[in-house]
Amino acid sequence: MSLVDADLPELHFASGLPGFPDARRFVLVRLGDELSPFSVLRSLDDSPEHPSGIEFVVTHPGLFFPDYEPEIDDDTAGRLELQSSDDALLLVIVTVADPVAASTANLLGPIVVNRHTRAAAQAVLGSSGYATREALVPTT
Amino acid sequence: MLVLTRRANQSIMIGADVVVTVLEVRGDQVRIGIDAPRSISVHREEVFRELEAANRAAASPASGALEGLAALRPPPERKNR
Repeated sequence: MSLVDADLPELHFASGLPGFPDARRFVLVRLGDELSPFSVLRSLDDSPEHPSGIEFVVTHPGLFFPDYEPEIDDDTAGRLELQSSDDALLLVIVTVADPVAASTANLLGPIVVNRHTRAAAQAVLGSSGYATREALVPTT
Repeated sequence: MLVLTRRANQSIMIGADVVVTVLEVRGDQVRIGIDAPRSISVHREEVFRELEAANRAAASPASGALEGLAALRPPPERKNR
């Protein structure tokens, strides 16, 4: 269940993320021990709202949503120079809630990383039916 | 806001390499075709705004909350595929 290499080098979002167009350089750091399914995507670029840089909690969608198979649009694939799906590392942003068991994942806008070049982008799955707040664990 | 009147199959150019074409008008719906370089991303506005709002809500959670989250695991019945 190795989600990321601890020493994964810098990821480069050429056009930032929606809402954070200036956040382009990120590093991925594991959150917690090595069994933790979560990592922190930490911006190296500061912004007026977040002077010390932005952080997002991310996870591997397959761990929580085994049926999640988003179709990455051609433009995103082309921009990241993905030749096949093997080139892509897929992550989803987690909105941390209180209690943490109520946390949600953004399946509408997965983060796609080219494993080889570290180019990254947040895809926008416009007509997929996926939501920005899908419960990580069932609420029963 | 610049306002232009166009008919079906007529286009608007934005800069030198973005072409927006009205393909079809039917009732209150308009089908629009967009030709743009790959470096320009094109989205339905409401979807993009939703993603902006979701990213802002998720950005920089309190560090106290992160400690609890690190212990959260996928539900066991969903772990194996």
